Amino acid sequence: MIFNFKLLEYSLSSLWRRKEKNIALIIVYALVIATLGSVLLLTHALKTEAVTTLTAAPEIVVQRTQGGRHELIPVTYAETIEGFPGVGKVIPRVWGYYYDSLVKANLTLIGIEGYQEQLELLEGRFPQSPDECVIGSGVAAAFGPQIGDLLVLEDSSKRRSEFRVTGVFHAASNLLTNDLVVLQEAALREFFAMPDGLATDLTVQVYNSREISTIAKKIAYFLPDSRPITREELLHTYDSLFNWRSGMMLAVFASALMAFLILAWDRATGISAEEKREIGILKALGWETSHVLGAKLREALLISLTAFIAGLLLAWLHVFVLGAPLLVPLLKGWSVLFPTFDLPRVVDLYQLTVLACVTILPYLACTLIPAWKAASSDPDDVMRG
Amino acid sequence: MNADIHNGGPLIRIDEVSKIYHHDKPDEVRALQNISLELFPGEVVALTGPSGSGKSTLLSLIGCMARPTSGTIYLQERRISRLPEAFLARIRRESFGFVFQQYHLLRDVSVLDNLMFPLYPAALPFMVMRERALALLEKFTLSNKQKTKVRQLSGGEQQRVALARALMADPPIIIADEPTAHLDAELSSELLGILTELHAEGRTIIIASHDPVVYRSPLISRRIALRHGNLVDENQAAGAEQ
Amino acid sequence: MILHPGILALLLGSTLILLMLLVAGGVALRILRYWNADSGSATQLQLERQTWLVSTLLKYAFGFQIITLFLFLFTLEEIHPLFVGAMCATGSLNANLVGWLVLLVKIGLVFAAAFWLAINYLDQRTEDTPLVRFKYVTLLLLIPLVALDLWLQWEYFSGLRPQMITSCCGALFSAEGEGVISTLAGLPVEQAIPLFFAVVLLYAILLLASLRWRAMLLRNLLFVVSVLLFFVSLAALVSFLSLYIYQMPSHQCPFDMLQGHYYYIGYPIYLGLFMATLFAMLPGLCRPLATTPSLERELKRSEPTWLRLALFGLILFLVTSCWQMVFGPLILLGY
Repeated sequence: MIFNFKLLEYSLSSLWRRKEKNIALIIVYALVIATLGSVLLLTHALKTEAVTTLTAAPEIVVQRTQGGRHELIPVTYAETIEGFPGVGKVIPRVWGYYYDSLVKANLTLIGIEGYQEQLELLEGRFPQSPDECVIGSGVAAAFGPQIGDLLVLEDSSKRRSEFRVTGVFHAASNLLTNDLVVLQEAALREFFAMPDGLATDLTVQVYNSREISTIAKKIAYFLPDSRPITREELLHTYDSLFNWRSGMMLAVFASALMAFLILAWDRATGISAEEKREIGILKALGWETSHVLGAKLREALLISLTAFIAGLLLAWLHVFVLGAPLLVPLLKGWSVLFPTFDLPRVVDLYQLTVLACVTILPYLACTLIPAWKAASSDPDDVMRG
Repeated sequence: MNADIHNGGPLIRIDEVSKIYHHDKPDEVRALQNISLELFPGEVVALTGPSGSGKSTLLSLIGCMARPTSGTIYLQERRISRLPEAFLARIRRESFGFVFQQYHLLRDVSVLDNLMFPLYPAALPFMVMRERALALLEKFTLSNKQKTKVRQLSGGEQQRVALARALMADPPIIIADEPTAHLDAELSSELLGILTELHAEGRTIIIASHDPVVYRSPLISRRIALRHGNLVDENQAAGAEQ
Repeated sequence: MILHPGILALLLGSTLILLMLLVAGGVALRILRYWNADSGSATQLQLERQTWLVSTLLKYAFGFQIITLFLFLFTLEEIHPLFVGAMCATGSLNANLVGWLVLLVKIGLVFAAAFWLAINYLDQRTEDTPLVRFKYVTLLLLIPLVALDLWLQWEYFSGLRPQMITSCCGALFSAEGEGVISTLAGLPVEQAIPLFFAVVLLYAILLLASLRWRAMLLRNLLFVVSVLLFFVSLAALVSFLSLYIYQMPSHQCPFDMLQGHYYYIGYPIYLGLFMATLFAMLPGLCRPLATTPSLERELKRSEPTWLRLALFGLILFLVTSCWQMVFGPLILLGY
């Protein structure tokens, strides 16, 4: 134990004596770790966001398909489904997408009746008449209207509709409400020219969560043109999506890691004459190869840990303080109307372990052989030289 | 003192030892050829001979820094010439104190650390090592330089550091390779004084030197001459040097 | 599936281990061919230096292997939500049965590497290193095992399909299920508890006796009983110890205790068990190899330390796994 402490002290001294080289190495290493760490932190935060959102989602959402494409669903289906044992309320929802060519943003328009429980307001109140609306904070930012102003949208027949903004959203998850515009259902139907007996989809409340898949199967059986989507499936999809994206990004940044490892190898093999001399002297005076190796490997470990902590801090700052400006376009994709929400600051032990494995283990492996070569020098050479 | 010097027999016995560098290669060098030698406890031995005669090689072999190509070396009747490297390092650490011709100090490291680093593998508590180092620095009047980097010291000071370092393990055997090579007359005689003191403490000293001040000193109890890797009759050698 | 970061990390880790072993194997071949302890030639010196490289490579491989074992368990836990019906790591393993083999091989490798390192330690402390041939031949035998580990992991992870319906520990580790594990889980508590403690007692007696007397027979018996202890303890964990740890009469999963919500109690439990097994097996394993006086000396010096470490492991294991049984509110006997 004492010996380990002494070796460690020697390693620190040795690192400090060659600090220019070591600091440069640590900086590059930390940047690589920061990059990989940012990817992991960001995807994990987004995943957590999504999962939080989805806990508020309905247990089953039933859509109707025709020819593999989404079609409007008859409201009468709701009665059939309500008849199944274990099913609570079945609520038809009316909603759709709206593309504004001026702002170049995709909005989601929803009828209030299907969503009331899930949403929290920032300020104001829900629409109480057909010409009122509530908008998400992203919409407010992009289009400009505040409470009391008018939101102007063009429907399918190029008719302008005006809605007075009565509230702006601040939901538990911005991911959900950022691009939302909430109207009364009747107003929405008129806007989309949707006939009365149809809805976009149905939400199904199931009392016992273990029954969800059974009921979903029943729905698919009794209503063959329907497509029930369970909350579980949504979660799986999000999970897979983020895993896939995160993994892909890691694979891409692996090239950065490889380049760094080559640098590390090169630096480790290019041991300076002074260092060689030092090792020779110590060995001549009684250090064994295993001791020198031990010191060199402790140096590598110290470098790794320092770079890891620095890199992790950088990644944390990049993702949670700056909002991950360098990565986010690659990961989020689809919408131009981009939620500038606060990412939940979650770091979990698993992510850290993975990051450590991916960045520290290869570095240690890479410096092993050069360290051994340095440690194997012949003390006799010192005497003769 | 750190050793169990056993009474009677030789401390170091060298038996038909040869050392060949780059064996079977175009630049093969036969540094030593069939040397046999016995060294006894308490002796002060001077190895003399022109450069290239094999003095440094012999010192390396005695000091367990190299292994002979053939032949056997015994330390207190223990066969050390075929020991694995780890064992040799331990023997070097515990039984020998080295003073090299070029001192071989760590230039960017403080004086105190120069004394302590080499002994780190020993099973000594850190504070004990430190106390010992400080005591030695005081003995060699270097206490005020303990934190100074070696490159900032004068030649004489560096030499004293090298000597202090050699004594850190309290070794029974001191090996010095051309210790007076970079010293003037005054410092040379100072060095001999220190060696005399060490000898009085019961240590065995082996010095390789072609400086007459050393090998003619009354301190030396035996002179061994080498030429082209062979032992030469001591008297002949004495005659030739004169 | 393979693009999950944790899976990438695992495959990378195992690949590194394989690479290190391959390098070590190459050196081992050279050593086996040219080693001559009596020679002072330059080749022999070089080979001696290379033995340090092999030692270090193996130490690293061992360390990495332990890390990947835990990362594997961690990852299984992490991916279980992707499988319908899976509630924990067990569900992930059941989604592709190769997973159980991966676990088995990983644990086996940890033991094998530990044995090799112990033998290497003994050998390097002797002056004449008599076990050189034995060591490097067994090293070569480790390589296929490591390759198997990597290949099985690949098979496991690439064979996983999210949305697969799998059974979780509730079905696997319950008395109503089928298979060896369910049988273990279904062992009546009144019989499982005495059996477990009987084995522990036998082990402890043999261990203490081995500390006192040097008979070979004791060590052989200890070897056998420690292997028995390992398996019986795993069975006991599944059968009743886990119930106390989770404070639930139906939760028998052996992996959940490694998670944060159970305060990571699984780590000292498995560490203790591993130490108790490994260090008690070492004397019995090494004795037959101590064919020279130098090795006998080293073994004599190391054995008491190993046995004490085994004792420490046993105490650690018992205290952490049985604490809740003694002090917790759950009562199973008489259930």
